[in-house]
Amino acid sequence: MKCKTLFVKNQIAELIHVADYLEELGEEWEFSIPLVFSLNLVLEEALTNIILYGFEDQSEHQIEIDFKKSDDKLFITLIDDGIAYDPTLKADPDLSLSAEDRPIGGLGVFLIKKIMDQVVYNRNENKNLLILTKNINL
Amino acid sequence: MNVTVLKSEGYTLVSVEGRVDSTNAGEFEKSMLEVVADGATKIVLDCSELNYISSTGLRIFLIVQKKMMANKGQFCLCGLQAGIKEIFDISGFSSIFKMFPDKESAING
Repeated sequence: MKCKTLFVKNQIAELIHVADYLEELGEEWEFSIPLVFSLNLVLEEALTNIILYGFEDQSEHQIEIDFKKSDDKLFITLIDDGIAYDPTLKADPDLSLSAEDRPIGGLGVFLIKKIMDQVVYNRNENKNLLILTKNINL
Repeated sequence: MNVTVLKSEGYTLVSVEGRVDSTNAGEFEKSMLEVVADGATKIVLDCSELNYISSTGLRIFLIVQKKMMANKGQFCLCGLQAGIKEIFDISGFSSIFKMFPDKESAING
């Protein structure tokens, strides 16, 4: 099992570093370009929610992102000390609605669920753990 | 990200290059809303050089579409890269936007 950890601050500008980090990780772990794109999107959606809505104070917080890769699976765990939030409970958007009726927003968590093969949430010692799994090398 | 706007007779061609994500979506939104406010009756958005978009970016596409429909105008997309098209498909956006393979067909369509 290969393992790597990245820490980011609760600031939107940090997403630029996450994108760069994924490019490097993709080269090192030999991910396809579409997989790097998908992971970048999933992490941006998850991190944006945590950064914008996860903290009630104005302090700096660290968000931990653990990457683990086996032969056929990639596990990404996001750990933050923000308010309890289980994104898996969020209802999916109604895709059949017309442009006039579609609400603005609400797609982030849905994209995570569609792109990853498993999304699991745990609350542990005042921390949110979001465990994302993707089957790779299919 | 780079946005260029070219006004022509009957349509406004907007080209977006690079990434539209949470770090720069505000800039993209401002540029697009300026084109809408300028009274464009048809906007062709060339996405051939757009190589990444997140839900924050998709949100702006929907805002522009709603505004153009309310104005009885047209909003056409063209040249979407495969990865971007897939996100549109997953989001159900492929059925609510007019999409063309290239800008010529979008301008004439």
